This record gives sequence, structure tokens and C-alpha cells, in this order.
Amino acid sequence: MKKLLSVLLTLAMVLTMTAGAFAASLEGTYQITIWVAEEVKDLTAKQIEDFNATNEYGITIVANIEAVSEADAATSMITDVEAGADIFCFAQDQFARLVQAGALSSLGKQAAEIVRTSNDAGVVAAATSGDTLYAYPLTSDNGYFLYYDKSVIPDEDVDSLEAIIADCEKAQKYFAFEMGTSAWYNASFFFATGCVSEWKTDDDGTFISVHDTFNSPAGLIAVKGMKKLVDSPFHLSSSDGASFASNAAAVVTGIWAYTTIEGILGDNMGVTDLPSFEVDGVSYHLGSYNGCKLMGVKPQTDPIKGAAIHRLAQYLTGEKCQMERFEARAWGPSNLAAQASPAVQANPGLVALYTQNAYSVPQGQIHGSWWDIAKVISDDVKNATDDAGLQQALDNYYDKISSLFNLDTSALLFVGAWNGWNNADESDTYYFKDGSLTLDVPASDYMGGRIVNPGSWDTDKGFAQVTVGADLIKDLGADNPDNNIVFIEAGNYTVTIDGDAISIVKN
Amino acid sequence: MKQLTDLEYLKLSKWKRLLHRLGSFFASIPHGIVNGLISLGRGIKKAAVGLRDDVTDIFATFREGDWSAKASFLVMGTGNIAHGQWLRGLLFLLFEVVFIVYMITGGIYWLSMLPSLGKQGPTLEYDPIYDIDVVTYHDNSFKILLYGVLTIFFIVALIYTWRVNIRQNKLIAQIKRSGKKLKSGKDDLRSLVDDQFHKTLLALPLTGILLFTVLPIFFMILVAFTNYSGTNNGYTNNLFTWVGLDNFNTLLSWKAVGGQSYAATFGEVLAWTLIWAFFATFTNYFLGMMVAMLINKKGIKLKKLWRTVLVMTIAVPQFISLLYVSKMFAKNGLINNFLMSMGWITKALPFWEDPTWARITVILINIWIGIPYLMLITTGILMNIPQDLYESSRIDGANAWQQYFKITLPYMLFVTGPYLLTSFTGNMNNFNVIYLLTGGAPTNTAASSAAGSVGYTDLLITWLFKITTGAEAQYYMASVIGIMVFVVVALISLVVYRCLPSIKNEEDFQ
Repeated sequence: MKKLLSVLLTLAMVLTMTAGAFAASLEGTYQITIWVAEEVKDLTAKQIEDFNATNEYGITIVANIEAVSEADAATSMITDVEAGADIFCFAQDQFARLVQAGALSSLGKQAAEIVRTSNDAGVVAAATSGDTLYAYPLTSDNGYFLYYDKSVIPDEDVDSLEAIIADCEKAQKYFAFEMGTSAWYNASFFFATGCVSEWKTDDDGTFISVHDTFNSPAGLIAVKGMKKLVDSPFHLSSSDGASFASNAAAVVTGIWAYTTIEGILGDNMGVTDLPSFEVDGVSYHLGSYNGCKLMGVKPQTDPIKGAAIHRLAQYLTGEKCQMERFEARAWGPSNLAAQASPAVQANPGLVALYTQNAYSVPQGQIHGSWWDIAKVISDDVKNATDDAGLQQALDNYYDKISSLFNLDTSALLFVGAWNGWNNADESDTYYFKDGSLTLDVPASDYMGGRIVNPGSWDTDKGFAQVTVGADLIKDLGADNPDNNIVFIEAGNYTVTIDGDAISIVKN
Repeated sequence: MKQLTDLEYLKLSKWKRLLHRLGSFFASIPHGIVNGLISLGRGIKKAAVGLRDDVTDIFATFREGDWSAKASFLVMGTGNIAHGQWLRGLLFLLFEVVFIVYMITGGIYWLSMLPSLGKQGPTLEYDPIYDIDVVTYHDNSFKILLYGVLTIFFIVALIYTWRVNIRQNKLIAQIKRSGKKLKSGKDDLRSLVDDQFHKTLLALPLTGILLFTVLPIFFMILVAFTNYSGTNNGYTNNLFTWVGLDNFNTLLSWKAVGGQSYAATFGEVLAWTLIWAFFATFTNYFLGMMVAMLINKKGIKLKKLWRTVLVMTIAVPQFISLLYVSKMFAKNGLINNFLMSMGWITKALPFWEDPTWARITVILINIWIGIPYLMLITTGILMNIPQDLYESSRIDGANAWQQYFKITLPYMLFVTGPYLLTSFTGNMNNFNVIYLLTGGAPTNTAASSAAGSVGYTDLLITWLFKITTGAEAQYYMASVIGIMVFVVVALISLVVYRCLPSIKNEEDFQ
């Protein structure tokens, strides 16, 4: 026994020593390529020098810094990952594509822990697929708000969409709000009425399900509001801050246009959160997306180099570097400590953004095709002549969303604990193909589920419709607002739908 | 279709002649197909006979050859070396050695993977010491497809060289029998700059074409039969595989999935592409010719100035002027703002917002860009038309229109016919104008999400671009559409080429 113990102890000692030896060997010089936006290229060079001078691991980075915009980086990476940069920056809507293409290496456990605790929750979600963190948050300012020309739109009108449109029409000037060419902006109306489009990815970045309520009564209210805007002859579908120079009086865009617009309007520039629109006497405050930019590290074949590059990326997205970027270029930080600093709190653009954030939706992961599908809603809305036409626009949208998962919408689907609540399930097992279904309920804390139309989360039939076998399921009363069916014990059941009635038989 | 004699044909009016030509073209199609099949059969028979003769010849060489001839079946070049033709022999040998080394070091792997396009994608492994995921790359479908094709090319080249090597032995035997002297290495080298000089000159270009044109085209065509896309990029993520004709099925399927069917979208884009190509070609052609004639007219002053002014539009790089014009016609652009400030319109004209407006606007702007080129081309040709034709026609009492339709236009069509054809096919693939002016907008809201965000002014070529760079990066669909563009262009070129006066009546203006 003693002998065994001593052997184990020696082994443990050797292991610790080798581990220690390895950890020290991060020291060295590494040649890497970095893609950053043109405007922070010089700043990044300086930050890397700072890193070389101050890092505790003895890492020296020799970086080849290239100017590649956040919009182009993802496409370039996907085209040829091997030839891509070791560190690159991108807008979060590209995230899932990059994970799917294997262009991002996941963060280590310690690094992930630091990123999770020091950044705001929205950006952490944006950099996460499944349970894995794949990128470092760089900014948290990818949202939009209203810039307006004070000489055309009086301050008391900026809270009402209708008033802004009226002012613009009166002055024969444009209200620029990008619609037909960008879902990122036109979703604003849907978020105003509480619609959601939430997508779920697994650890590999593959989309597994969607919860989308654009095609709903609330969605219909949203498109009615949208119609007011797109029907105005003085609506301009653009998010270009320079529009103020060509006859616009109000532009909905983001913090990046701040200096441009300030240069055009000077003292006449007004900045505020988005307005509200009114349908059937109820007022809805326009929502927005609240997104971010991320910094990613390409998967490396050499673990030592990989670890060194991760250390650099971690440094470049830390509080100090984010503050430097804010001071130089007014990039809104994602780091919580940086966000709280007085300088950030005093920037009027960021204040408007943070005010609008109260109505915003974290962007999360969204299927790449969604942007193409959702952007055309506003074209359909513009062409619609009545409410039926508006509904048609939503139906058109819903059809396309459903087709993304090859959903068979001819049968109902029983989602729940047994299939991981996957409402886009492609296996045949949980569909009511001929009105009935054999179900294996595994033992778990919550052995429940609901019967839905594939791709949707709204319960089509549930507890209230069970006529046979009510003794096999739990009656949760008020604890069951979604009308779920919760089995009392695990086992094999046959569930049959006949008209509106459900019968459950234990096998 | 009645076969007309020359006299009967010449009696017909211009339009009837054209109709006759078109008619006889289509009437000749069935006959052509039958003829084609017959000659195909003949070709196959000829190839089979050739192959049989070849094989017999090879066996005969083996039977009748000496030891060195027999040995060169296995070790290429032995025959040549044994008879003192060192240079030839060593070249054969070198080729064989290179081939064997290539096959062992990589060729066999590429070839064996070609049917599956790879078995294992990359793997990630967590390294606890460095707290990082380390990637190991395995098979790469993209490289397998590329090098697989290259390996096949190489094997074909080897078989050909091997055959040449056998024939050499027969040749040696023949020359020896006739008592002549064999060519030495020195003779060979000398002939390369003498009677074989064409081979020396063509060696480099031919290799270049093979590697940089033929191989990529072959590769791209093969992509249409795989599922190579952003999510199956064959390397860092999922491998891609062969899918047979699935992609062509998708393109031609009328089943509507999430919006319009793919076939309907394809049909719409194709129709607009043809309409665009027609108008872009002929509006430019006739208006350009008109401008050239106007400037050429006697009595017009400052001819050089007018020409210079028009040519100025060529001096500015096209993509700059296109981007600028695109902004000018925007809803809040110069033109709308000007019209509105003058009080002529109360709301902006939908140049880029409305499908019909957008289509007409791109055609009109294209006229503005294209006229100067056509003016330049036609000015020279117009000056070349013999003036005595006009003089004699004037004496005969022809008016300006008659002169134009009887003299100018036939002459122009004769000379510029091939140009018209290339410009038509060029316009079908006119990426610049469409992409820079509208980017395909306005979007076709009915099209399915799988078809990318295709718009009403998208040509096949800009649609292809959108599919490749869009959310899903469907390289396979882009390849399929590329093949379809080729089919359409080839068909049109073939039909039109046959009807061109410059091909049909070659002697008319000589």
C-alpha cells in the first residue's frame, strides 16, 4: 500500500513538473496575421506592442496587421480558412456561419470564465453556440437609434413615428429607415409589438430549431405600423448617415455614423431613441437589435502558438484596449467596467443607444437565410392594398422560414423531454402521421411536452384536450399556462388525436 | 422547306431572305441530327478500328522486336537507349520515374479518394495544458477533387507517352532495316529549332492552357455534381460528396418550397437576361450607328469636338461612372431632388424601387455607356463604304431611307455581324452594369430562400454571384447555373452564327 502510494506520489510530481515546464514554454516569438477594421489598424499595432511589453508569459507577437472590414472578414475566412488570418474581427451575424465552417477555435475554460464574467450578457450570448464560447466580445454598440435634423423636426415630435413622417412630408424631406434591403432594421416593427424570432444552434453551429412569432396577430399590428412608414412618399430605404447631405431630415442608423452626421448637421443634430407608432389607439415603441462585434481566433495546428494567440486576443478585448478604442474611435465597449466609466456615459450617441437598449432584443444566433427572408417583408407590405395583403406578406414569410428545416407541416409534432424540445425535428418518430404516435417517455424531472405545428412553439393541443387517459398525466392547474401534457411516470405510450380530442394509452 | 436556286433566293426581299434562312435552319435541324448521329457512329467505328489497329500494332512490335523493344514495354525508353538514342530514351525513362514517384507519394491517395471525396473531416482535441482546442486536419475534399482530376490527366498523359515509346521501337526497326542512320540526341535538339520549331513554341502555352484553363473548367463542371457549399466546404468542416444529378433536379423542379419553385425563378431570370441582352445590344447598335452617321454627315461642324465629348465617357472608368449614376437616380438622388425642387413632381420617381422602372432605367443607362463605343467602331466602317454606291443610287433616285436600308445597313450588318453576336453573348454576362447599378434590386419577394435574394434586374451571372456569396454559399448551384449559361449562350451563338450574312454570303461585299 505504501509502495503504491509512493509510486502515485512520484507520478503526480512528475506530471506537475512537466505541466509546469509546458506552461512556461509559451515564451517565444510568433508570426501571425490579424484582420481589423481600417480605422483601428494603427491603434491595434500599438496595442500589440503594449502586449509584447507587458505580458507575463514572455510572448512576443510579430503581427502582420491588414485592414479587412468586419463585413468582409467572415466571407474571406470561409472561402479559405487555411489562408485566413489568425485573428479577425466580425459582426455577430456572421458568427454561426463561421462556427459551421470551422473558422473559429473555442475559448479555453479559464478564458471563457473571464469573458463571461466581465462582459454584458447579450454579447456573451452572441459569442456562444450551444454551450461553447467561440469568440471574444469586441464592442457592444451594434444597435440603431434616431438621428434627426432639429431644424425640420421639432423635439416634441421625435417620440411619434406619425409626427416624424408628417414633418418630413411637409418639409419635402426624407425619413431614412432601411426597410426592403435589411431585415436587421425592419425587424424593429416586430420587436415593438413583442414578436420574437429566436434560433437555437448546437455546439457545431448547426441550427436545430426556431421560435418565430412574426406570423401572428401581434405581427399583423407590426406590419400595419410598417405600412404607415413605407407608404409615405418621403420614406427612404437607407441607413447611410450621409443621407442628411442629400435631402434627408431623419435617419435611423448606428453609432458609427455619428461623426459623419455631426459633420453635416453641426448644432442641428439631434440624437434620441426610436419613436413609437400607433395602431388602433395603442402605442408601440419601436424595438431594435442590440448586437456586437466579435474577435475570433482561427483553429491552430500548433497548440503552443494557439495558446499564445488566444492570450493576445484576450488582451485585445480586455477593458484597457476597449477603452482605448472608445477614446480613439467611439466604439462602444462590451466590457462591463468600461461601460460604467464616466467618459462612456457622457457620449450622446451611446446614451441614445443605451436608452434604446431598453426596447432592444439581443441578437443571439440567427440563421443566415433569415436575413434574406425577412428583409422582403417590407416590400410585400408596401405592395399590399388591404389587411389580407398584409397577412399574405406574413404567410409568405412563414412559408420560407418553415422550408429552412425541410419541415413537414402536414402533421402535428409532439415536442418535449423525449426529443430535446426540438420543434424542427426531422425524424419521423414524433409526428402524428396517421393521427397516432408511439412515444417512449424517458425518466426525467419534467416528463412533459406539447403538441405543436412543426417550427412553432404555440401549443396546438394539450392537457385540456385529453379525453382518454387523464389519469396518466399530471393536472398542474395554474402551473401549466402552456397547456402542456406532463406524464406521471416514464414508459411507452400510444397517443392518438381524433378531431380535437386526445387519447393516451399506456403500453 | 423548298430548296431555292440562287436566282430565286436573290429575287426575295431582305426580310423574306432572312425568314428563308431561319426557316431552312430549323428545317435542317432533324436532318442535322440524323447526320450528326451517323457521323457519330462513323466516328465511333473509326475510333474502334483505330484502337484495334493500335493494339495489333503493339502486339506486333512486341513479337517482332528485339530484347530492348520488349523491355521498353516495362521500362520506357530502353529501346532508344539500346540503339544509342540517349536523349529520347532518358526522357521516356524520366517521365516514367516521375510518374511512379508521383503516384506513390500522392497520386494513389488522390485517386483512391476520388470516388468518396474523403473519409474523415478535421478533428478537435482539447489540450488541458494549454487550455485550448487543437485541430488536426485530415482529408480535404476540395484538394481530393482537384488533384484527383490532375492525376487522371497525368495517367492519360502516361498512356499516351507509353504508346509513343512503343511506336519508337517500331520506327527504329524500320529505319535499321532500310539501312539509314538513326537520329542522335544532337539531331533531335537541332530539329526542335528547325523543322519541329512549332512544337517548341507551343509547348509552354499548351501546358498553360491545360493547367489554367482546361483543368479548372473540368473541376468547376464536376462541382455541379457535388454538394460543395459553405457548410460542406470539404475541409475545415464537413467533407463534401458526390450527389449525382440532384442539383440539376433542384434547378428544374417545379415544386414550390418556401416561396416560388426554383424552376420558376430560373425561368424569370433567364427571360429577363435574354430581354436585357437583346435591348442592350440592339439599342446601342442602332443608336450608336445613328450618332456616327450624324457626325459623319457633310456640313456638320466641329466633328472632332463631338467625337471627343462622346468618348469622354469612356475615359472615366466604367465602374466609377456606374456607381455615380446609380446614386444619381436614387430616391433622394440628384435627379429626383432636382425635379422636386422645380416642382415638376411631388414624390420621387421609383427608378430603382419599381421592377419595370428599374429594368427600363438600366437599359437606358446602358445606352448612355454603350453609344460611344459603337460610334467609334461604326465611324470607321461607315467611312469605308464606297461612296460611288451612294452616288449611283442618288442618280437612280433613291432617298435617304432607301440608301440606309439598301446600302448602309446591309454593309454594316455584313461587317459587324460577328461583333453583334459577341456583344449579345457579352451582354448576357454583363455583370458590371447590373451589379453596380442596381445590385439586382428590387428583390423578388416571391423567390424561395434557397434561391438567394434574387431581384428583378438580376441576370443569370449576377444571380450566380449572389448564390456564391450569399448566406449559404451554394457553390454547387452556382456551378449548375454556370453550366446552364453556357448551354444557353452556345445554343444562341450556334443559331445566330448560321444566319449571319457574313458567314452565309461571304462574297457579297468582296
